[in-house]
Amino acid sequence: MSHVLHDIEKQIIQVLQSDPNLTEEKISQETKLSMDQIRRGVEWLRQKKLADVSESINISLSLGKNGLEALKNGLPERRLVTLIQDGPKTFDEIRSSLHGLDFNAAIAHAKKNHWISIEKTDTGSKISLKDSDADVPNDSDLIISKLGEGTIIPAEFDNTPLAEPLKSLMERPDFIITHEEKTKTVSLSETGKKIDLGKLDSGAIDVEADVPHVHAARIHPLKDTINEIRDTFVHLGFTEITGDLSQSSFWNFDALFTPQDHPARELQDTFYLQGLNAKQLATPTQIKNVSSAHKKGWRYYWDIQEAKKMVLRTHTTCVTIKHLADKKPDEARIFSLGRVFRNEKVSYKHLVEFNQVEGVVVGKHITLRDLMGIQKEFYRKIGLTKVKFWPTFFPYTEPSLQSMVYNEKLGKWIELFGMGIFRPEVTKPLGITKPVLAWGGGIERIAMLKFGLDDVREFYNNNLSWLRTASKCQ
Amino acid sequence: MPVIELSISRLQKLVGKKANKKQILDSLPFLGLDIESLEGNTVRVEYSPNRPDYSTDFGIALGLQGILGISKGILRLDIKKQGNYEIKVDSSTSKIRPFVTGIIARNGLLDNESVKQLINMQEDLHFGLGRKRKKSSIGIHDLDNISFPLKYTTTSREHRFVPLNSTKESSISEILRDSEVGRDYGSILGQSAKVPLITDIKGQTISFPPIINAALTTVTTKTKNLLVEVTGIDKQSAEDMLSVVVTILQGAGFQFSQLKVSGSKNSTPNFAPRSIVFDADPVNKILGLNISGSMLVSCLKKSRLDAVMKGKKIQCTIPRYRFDIFGGMDIVEEVALGYGINNLKPAWPASVHIGEKNMTSEKLDSISRLMTGFGFMETLNSTLTSNQTLYEMTNRNASQIISVTSSKSQEHTILRDSILPGLLENLSKNIHETYPQKFFESGTVFSTGSPIKETASLACVTASEETHFSEMKAILQSLLRIGFNIKCETKTLSKHALFSQGRVAEIIINGKIVGHIGELDSKVLENFRIRTRVVGFEIKLSGLIFD
Repeated sequence: MSHVLHDIEKQIIQVLQSDPNLTEEKISQETKLSMDQIRRGVEWLRQKKLADVSESINISLSLGKNGLEALKNGLPERRLVTLIQDGPKTFDEIRSSLHGLDFNAAIAHAKKNHWISIEKTDTGSKISLKDSDADVPNDSDLIISKLGEGTIIPAEFDNTPLAEPLKSLMERPDFIITHEEKTKTVSLSETGKKIDLGKLDSGAIDVEADVPHVHAARIHPLKDTINEIRDTFVHLGFTEITGDLSQSSFWNFDALFTPQDHPARELQDTFYLQGLNAKQLATPTQIKNVSSAHKKGWRYYWDIQEAKKMVLRTHTTCVTIKHLADKKPDEARIFSLGRVFRNEKVSYKHLVEFNQVEGVVVGKHITLRDLMGIQKEFYRKIGLTKVKFWPTFFPYTEPSLQSMVYNEKLGKWIELFGMGIFRPEVTKPLGITKPVLAWGGGIERIAMLKFGLDDVREFYNNNLSWLRTASKCQ
Repeated sequence: MPVIELSISRLQKLVGKKANKKQILDSLPFLGLDIESLEGNTVRVEYSPNRPDYSTDFGIALGLQGILGISKGILRLDIKKQGNYEIKVDSSTSKIRPFVTGIIARNGLLDNESVKQLINMQEDLHFGLGRKRKKSSIGIHDLDNISFPLKYTTTSREHRFVPLNSTKESSISEILRDSEVGRDYGSILGQSAKVPLITDIKGQTISFPPIINAALTTVTTKTKNLLVEVTGIDKQSAEDMLSVVVTILQGAGFQFSQLKVSGSKNSTPNFAPRSIVFDADPVNKILGLNISGSMLVSCLKKSRLDAVMKGKKIQCTIPRYRFDIFGGMDIVEEVALGYGINNLKPAWPASVHIGEKNMTSEKLDSISRLMTGFGFMETLNSTLTSNQTLYEMTNRNASQIISVTSSKSQEHTILRDSILPGLLENLSKNIHETYPQKFFESGTVFSTGSPIKETASLACVTASEETHFSEMKAILQSLLRIGFNIKCETKTLSKHALFSQGRVAEIIINGKIVGHIGELDSKVLENFRIRTRVVGFEIKLSGLIFD
């Protein structure tokens, strides 16, 4: 087998063929390549099974803050002994002379070494010298001075008389600092050793090697689905209409025959805008006719003030109905797409703000079966082929159906768009005389299927690693 | 939508022997009942709020019998005029809750499951049709502890009786203050000194509508005979509510005697069905079908209505409890359900239409394409966001905020007036990802003005150690030039909350300020825990590239 090697790899192999075990640092020194290049080269060689890497941890010691102090002025217990060379002294005298040092530690260690004795007198405890050899430097002093010359490797002291005092010094705070250093020792594998660098073709590169991932800047995955749905509606002959996200209750509710005392209008589902009322509601005729439809159908006092309250639209239907009421087309295919709002608790399946699309067909001869057909074609275009319909209820359509699509991956039927024919109680007061067939629903649900998500919040987390890697599963 | 839990074997017993379990489960969705879950003998279905009769298995069984062809046409209510049951209404009720109606139901048997179903139905009726008991509310009582005639009157808030689920007497004020139902529904009575009360001839308190019944008439599984009363502010909705209860109780095997109601504009309830006459033609046309008149009649009967052909017209009889039927289009739905939605085959309309995108959508699309071309990742943020992100973290002036009332989420309380804060939040969430990071977002921003103004804006940011003002200006210039052939200038601005002093400019097009560009202020970045340099701009698109 012939090997295609990068120049870095070749240089590493070259030094290792003459010196079989080297650290990465050593290779870097030998080859004059940067550590970064060496690390990469070694990793490539390892993946190609041309080199082996063994990791080891080297521990070395150096002086800490208290150790450096001891190097300069002696260990605290040593300084204590010096203080009482000329005769016994009281605790207070010693404490003031040893200022800043750990007095207790000095006493404890001097006592442990049998250098001093403590005597209780009327004027307080006194410390006196016990061992006349106490001023002779011992193993601890030796270790401090050795460390003063440079770092030491603790393993070198194993099984020597210094091992025990070293351990004791390491236990004292801030005397000795332990350094752990990982080193990678690189050696060539059997195959690596056999490579004849002179025979390699120098012009070839490794075209089979793995390469890093690159990230494309891209349209947001949800936006991508929104665009696809918008395009699909246009393909099906629908023209887009738009409207404001903030709407008067009149267009969001009243025009759609939702009674003012209906639980759905209460705060729990709807975001009302604090202190904001619509200035211009609708034409006087529209207001009058909607008002009397409510009085007739629901038998209550219809209050125009209630209709003026501004809300964040709970559906795109308010845009559709206003368009139809203003234009009164005899025949039309229109759609409206955008953000809608629900005052709900956010969870893996609920957002307070999400996207909805709604298509409307107006025509003298249009039928419920036609609407089912358009919807089926819509699903086919976005890759959903198994579709069925069930009856359901929407306050402003009659009859109302919901569509179910089969998801192969989940192995079950999922409820998607709803559809229906606008109630005459909605259309008549607004002067819309031809049947209006509507269908639509949430877009995030479809995007979740497309991107294999089970938590809808992911779309709005804007997690860069997800944005960079999210891919369609159908 | 509300959900009800059903026992399949019980449902099967109610539907009749001819239906098996699979037929029942397969048919439920075609009545508009979505199956939520199925476990052993228990199925949970979601039903429509306009069909309170589906809040019990008795009502669902009626529907299933029809759709399965076991029993068709309307359920005739059998209400005897015998017996001397009467309630008299005192005119003092007219100011607070003017209407009462009711029925006597005898010789039935309520097992645990049936009591559960009745309570479920009662709650459902109270919430929807009763508008949380305000418009109308029901009381169901053990008939055998009551002495007729009854009186529907008013009393003071000091009146005392033993309320349901209690053993001791309380005053009405105490009930309103101390009990959960009192606190939940007491506001219906407002500040009125006099409150509604039903008493019997012995002077015993039967009910304090719309709050609570008396303990005296508690219904248990031993109860055989019932008094059902409905009070309300709307006579028709009170009778509608009663008609659902009567229909369901007939399904549960009760026999009925009339409760005579009189006084102060009240009258004995009328349960007679109504009739609608309609043309067969338009029904076929709207459904896209071509079925005969007799077939239409059969479809309606399967939907538990009655119908007869009268020449080209069809006369449809609708039972009282189907008050969800307003007119012709509701009949169309009943025909469709009786025909079977699964028998309706999707068609393709022949007419030709040419679809078009909205111009704003098109332009925003082309901006997205250009921005991704420049290497910017698109993000999406809520337009309903928080004070913290919009103002506190960015040190911006919060005097013109537009907020929503009673939001359930603290993170969604204020409509954004700028997109940049959201992008900074996006950078903040991604500080552990590799740099450079480049984001853009286009979308709606809000401002105050008769009463609210919505415009589209674009904002973008670059975060990296090496980025600088001129890099961002280059993007801005190229975007406007390539995309829309627009020339822009940047003019020094002395101060801006978001940007560093000396590194911020106004974006000017044709002499008009349309946005800002600059290096983000280090304190703002610190608030968002962003440790790299960030440059960005925000520009108003409405009025610039579209209206």
